[in-house]
Amino acid sequence: MGGPLRSPAGRREREVALSAAGAALLLGSVAPLASLLVQEGSAWRGALDVLTDASIFALLVRSLALSALVTALALSLGVPLGVLVARTDVAAPWPAALLHAFPMFLPPFLLALGWFHLFGAKGLLGSAATSSVFFSAAGVVLILAVAFAPVVTALVALGLESLDPSLEEAARVAARPLRVVTLILLPAAAPAWLLSAIVVFTLAFSELAVPMFLRVDVFPAAVFSRLGGLDYAPGEALGLVLPLLGLALLLLAVERRLAGARSYAVLGLRSGRLERLPLGRWRGAATLAVWAAAFLSVAPLVALAWRAASGGGFSQAGGWLGGAPWTSLSTAAIAATIIVAIGLVVGHSAARRLGGGGTLDAVSVLAFVAPAAVLGVGLIALWNRPGLRWVYGSAGILVVGYVARYAVIGVRTLGALIAQTPLHLEEAAAAAGAGFWRRLTRVLLPLHARGIGFAWLLALVFCLRDLELAVLFYPPGRQPLTVRIFTLEANGPEPVVAALALAHVAMTAVVLGAGGGLLWRRPA
Amino acid sequence: MRRAALIGTLLLSSGCGGGAAPEVVVYTSVDQVFSAPVFQAFEREAGIRVRAVFDTEETKSTGVLNRLLAEAEAPQADVFWSGDPVRPFLLIRRGLIEPYVSPEAEGLPAGLRGEDGTWTGVAARARVLLVNRGVVPEAEMPRSVRDLADPRWAGQAAIANPLFGTTTMHVAALFAAWGDVEARVFLESLKANGVRIASSNGEVKRLVVSGEVAFGLTDTDDANEARKEGADVEVVYPDPEGLGTLVMPTTIVLISGGPNPEPGRRLVDFLLSAEVERRMAESAAHMPLRQGVPTPDGVPAIPEIRAMEVDYGRVAEEMERIQPWLREWVGL
Amino acid sequence: MTAAVALEGVTLAYGDRKALDEVTLSVAPGEVLALLGPSASGKTSLLRAVLGLAVPTSGTVRLGEEVATRDGCLLLRPEERGLGVVFQDLALWPHLTVEGNLGFGLAARGVPRREAVGRIAAMVRRVGLAGTERRHPGDLSGGQRQRVAIARALVLEPRAVLLDEPLASIDVDLRRDLLALLRELFAEGGTTAVHVTHDLREAVAVASCFAVMEEGRIVQQGALDDLRRAPATPFVGSLLDDLEGRMPVGEPGGEPRRVP
Repeated sequence: MGGPLRSPAGRREREVALSAAGAALLLGSVAPLASLLVQEGSAWRGALDVLTDASIFALLVRSLALSALVTALALSLGVPLGVLVARTDVAAPWPAALLHAFPMFLPPFLLALGWFHLFGAKGLLGSAATSSVFFSAAGVVLILAVAFAPVVTALVALGLESLDPSLEEAARVAARPLRVVTLILLPAAAPAWLLSAIVVFTLAFSELAVPMFLRVDVFPAAVFSRLGGLDYAPGEALGLVLPLLGLALLLLAVERRLAGARSYAVLGLRSGRLERLPLGRWRGAATLAVWAAAFLSVAPLVALAWRAASGGGFSQAGGWLGGAPWTSLSTAAIAATIIVAIGLVVGHSAARRLGGGGTLDAVSVLAFVAPAAVLGVGLIALWNRPGLRWVYGSAGILVVGYVARYAVIGVRTLGALIAQTPLHLEEAAAAAGAGFWRRLTRVLLPLHARGIGFAWLLALVFCLRDLELAVLFYPPGRQPLTVRIFTLEANGPEPVVAALALAHVAMTAVVLGAGGGLLWRRPA
Repeated sequence: MRRAALIGTLLLSSGCGGGAAPEVVVYTSVDQVFSAPVFQAFEREAGIRVRAVFDTEETKSTGVLNRLLAEAEAPQADVFWSGDPVRPFLLIRRGLIEPYVSPEAEGLPAGLRGEDGTWTGVAARARVLLVNRGVVPEAEMPRSVRDLADPRWAGQAAIANPLFGTTTMHVAALFAAWGDVEARVFLESLKANGVRIASSNGEVKRLVVSGEVAFGLTDTDDANEARKEGADVEVVYPDPEGLGTLVMPTTIVLISGGPNPEPGRRLVDFLLSAEVERRMAESAAHMPLRQGVPTPDGVPAIPEIRAMEVDYGRVAEEMERIQPWLREWVGL
Repeated sequence: MTAAVALEGVTLAYGDRKALDEVTLSVAPGEVLALLGPSASGKTSLLRAVLGLAVPTSGTVRLGEEVATRDGCLLLRPEERGLGVVFQDLALWPHLTVEGNLGFGLAARGVPRREAVGRIAAMVRRVGLAGTERRHPGDLSGGQRQRVAIARALVLEPRAVLLDEPLASIDVDLRRDLLALLRELFAEGGTTAVHVTHDLREAVAVASCFAVMEEGRIVQQGALDDLRRAPATPFVGSLLDDLEGRMPVGEPGGEPRRVP
């Protein structure tokens, strides 16, 4: 693949941009981890620990098994839901889908808190029996599966929506809707739900707050205990993490093979309307199922509202809110902007398979997979220097952390978007003399303005939702809202904590609603 | 593009410490719900802005202490207000503390502070047994920490994770008092007796209050919360005839090389005052070290209970020493 | 004789726009009808109405003796109509092999496996794709993919085959071979077909009957001579001009072959 895209001038511009994006990524993620490795020689002992210590190994296996269960459950919930919402004629699918999807933008810890107010021993629907199920591995699996199922639903729906419609029509002429879905649509959309499985697995595996709340031991806790316990051994913790990173690299390789194997027609040209698959006599039951899923997702939020209201939490919450929402929003917004910029540059190189793109894509994935505690300690080690105090002492360090951890969102979504853009659009511009920068800003940016907007919104929400990273080095006196809820949860009055949690929910809802509304109104 | 950068800088700089107003940075592992109002009182009185970093439900963060250690090269904090007296020793040992003898320390008992002014204890908690009166009749009340290993209470007792928080200190104190062998045997027998390991003291309180366990080992402020919630519980100060109750004063230390040394000293003075002891007694059921500080019902003053003899420095050493063994014991 | 495919007064409206406007058309069994017209004239909509993928706002669609759609009601679902289709972009299922693509419809109808395998093998041979059964569409050439699409439509032995500009994206030399193949297949099986195209030369190579659509209406239909004698609109005239200017592809003398 030669051509105008690889002309010397074009290449230089692209390389400069890529280096800038790469530097931003590396300074945020790899450099801290590397400096930790260099400083702490005990990292290797930690890695050996995993391989030789039976109990740690058992814990790793246990965590992997739990995550696999969560993934399986989330898939079995999310795939049918995604199909029902995207392709069938259930009643009012999109409102139900929105309700169902909303909790995925909240920290799982908040949801667990809500479930606790429902099923804990003193909960609305609680008893000793429900409590014992709740505070167990089963509880972790159920809560995380329900929390992450919307990821599957969303990706499956997106995957189905972007399939070439004539694939479906050709099948509908030959077979009934169920066969069409199971034998044609779902296999053709395999990249989508396979990706969702990987995402859910990663999220479930690295989740720390929920298992600890439910008193279930997981592998990240082993990492954490070397940082949160008394003997501060970050090198060992990093060593424990190395096998995880190895696993992540393996998953990446698998994903690359799957995606590269066959290029399915994505973003087919939609020729006219495609009727939704009729469900006939199953329509009522299916509609009920979809709305039941929506209510299931929202149930913990209702419980939080009940707890806050019944204890006068709302009236007291104001005093405790302080500047936390502003800290959350401002840092998240700046981080999201940087993430989108990095995502455009790196995603473009990754999508077009140009040099450096694949590596930086892998770096962003690893930064997402690495346990927050380790990334946090590395960031402190790298950034807490006299010369960098203007960053470290300010909210800027939060931005650095968020960008490092969530750059993958920008890289992946924008990379996918660009991959679907025909190459010849860029080639035409290049042939007309446009350099890389001009192509990016004058061709790709306007073309994908809406997609970029959505990527920005998604990155924003993930930064808002972050807890485990921000808690490690938030600047004194400036807690993001998630951290504030967390620190207050220690003996803070339950109604107030619940009210603050709802404040966070409201903030997220407003952001999503405003952003989504703005983007929706732009002409397609 | 340029507009975005401008907005970004404005947003960020709103977070940077403004040069004009004096401020002090304090890290604390005293629960935010109790410490934040104290800081607000200081801000009003002294006119110095307080920027605080709080700890979380003990297990869930790297701990304020470890942040202090991680930041040792370039300290960000001026003062560390620790919920227990032992963790500051780790800082002292690493030379991160600046000695400061506060004028307010006059009224405080000599045994609960470092002679060189490296650390000063104030308003304390104690380790107590919180018992659910609905499950346990008066006659059978547990009286000693050893009751945790009593087969009578198999599977019905709880302690918080000994890798974190005040439980670490308690276990280390037992090691210091009983010696290595006896302490290990005791912990093993806890395991054999099916003692539940909760994620925190707050969790222990929840378990006892809901009746899932009969009693648990926790701190006085958690126990007080249970009583304030109206739960039918009894607070037992263990081992009044034997070992004694472990007292944990909250501890104030001044960080060496912090950004605001003078405001830091003023904050230390404030935190050691009788006024703060009174506040902590009222809101957090912390027991004042001073004589004559008014306390609410159910909150004794330290001189009233039988306290365990403790060398906090030695306990700190034990804590570090037993960490790997403890981690194995917990299964992490 | 009952028509194999018949539309009676079919109107398909999307809001104000009428994709089909009182269309009446019938195709006799064994007949190959060529449907011509400029883009956006409604040809594709007509096919989709016959297939059951679009429901007309009024009018009746009949397939043989059965009423498939009447007055906005879908009486026969798409999978029950026994029709075969070749889409413009072929719509081969990328994750299935050639065998899988052909077998999908047979399996859906419950054809026993052994019989299905036999029918697939025969059809594959017939269209000249022997040896490619286990390949995926992505590994085939353009011409081979075309043949798979045709085979997939015909293996079901449908009551009629609908082709939507099947040769639109094919090279000239391939087009000739494929047209010849289509012609032979239709003749052998006595297949009823509706062949949509914008090229009268292509139509003349396979069809015996012609219909021209403009803006959702049938403006003229009949044999080629009927069109020649009295072209109803300027567009029909331009189609004929194109035809006269050159030899029709694959057929010397320019006379369409009559289907017996």
